[in-house]
Amino acid sequence: MSDDNATVKPLDEYAEAAVQRLLTEHAQVAEQGITVVRRDHTLLLRGEVASPQRRDEILRLVTEHFPDVTIACDIGVTRAPEPSEVEELP
Amino acid sequence: MIRIAAVGDVHMDEDVLGRYRPALEHLPDRADVLLLAGDLTRHGTESEARCVAAEFGGLGVPVVTVLGNHDHHCDQVPQVVKVLSDAGITVLEGNSTVIDVGGVRLGVAGAKGFGGGFAGRCASEFGEPEMKAFVRTTGAIAERLGTALRELDCDVRVALTHYSPVPDTLAGEPLEIYPFLGSYLLGEAIDSAPTALALHGHAHLGSERGTTPGGVRVRNVAHPVIKQAYSVFHLSETELAGSSTQVSGAASGVHQ
Ligand SMILES: [Fe+2]
Ligand SMILES: [Fe+2]
Repeated sequence: MSDDNATVKPLDEYAEAAVQRLLTEHAQVAEQGITVVRRDHTLLLRGEVASPQRRDEILRLVTEHFPDVTIACDIGVTRAPEPSEVEELP
Repeated sequence: MIRIAAVGDVHMDEDVLGRYRPALEHLPDRADVLLLAGDLTRHGTESEARCVAAEFGGLGVPVVTVLGNHDHHCDQVPQVVKVLSDAGITVLEGNSTVIDVGGVRLGVAGAKGFGGGFAGRCASEFGEPEMKAFVRTTGAIAERLGTALRELDCDVRVALTHYSPVPDTLAGEPLEIYPFLGSYLLGEAIDSAPTALALHGHAHLGSERGTTPGGVRVRNVAHPVIKQAYSVFHLSETELAGSSTQVSGAASGVHQ
């Protein structure tokens, strides 16, 4: 537990659950595919979203809720190229 | 040969408009039909549905879809279905449609599906009313899907769901959430008819390939899984010959 600031939210399992639910249930985000990893004093966000705007919004939202936590954002935008191969199903 | 293009979990909103369009331009050269495996929108609003209609309407091939859990979030399912239907997209829920592909009748039966888990690790219709309602919901959906598949009068059958019918295609997801990602009851429904291919989405962290206990090939086509605008599957002539010997029922067209 941090002793320098009593209002700092600890980075525990509850924080992990809170982030997951925040991203799913927040009206502007509704993202279920993000993995939250706790590393010492860092929250690592991993996964893929449909647009850069969604990634930025997720980072903004989590930063806002955990202002004292270092957030590492490793969220990618899912590529959408034409398929280069087909799958033959004999 | 029937060429099936499929993608799920496109989660459209204005910020994604146009993202699939370049790849969809050549779709009619590559596929006879496009199947969408649900989670078309982020929250299931009418305005998001209009984005889906703009992106996947007027492609030059028939487009058939089921809804996903996200498409139910804002309780605007009738409006969402109407916007999609007006754009020429066929929305299935416990029913089917038959598409003529160069004289071969492709039957697609679809349902959103629901959770509950997989054999040996699944929820049971027991205890609190909420628990019973959860399991009954999946049971009722699976039953309608099975009936729709069995009653299809076609040459080749494809099952389209949002939730997964097998655990195979969930590999990559945390084991703890498997019961929220699919149900063996959907697999049982698919196995009750001579289904050639089962497509689903929902499991963004899952994997591409699986098989039902009855031997039906299952593909998870969630966009974050396939990492391309859509996947294309070729169902060969031998598959068509095999399934056409077992058709039953006399229904055709879209059943409600
Ligand atoms: Fe999804
Ligand atoms: Fe989903």
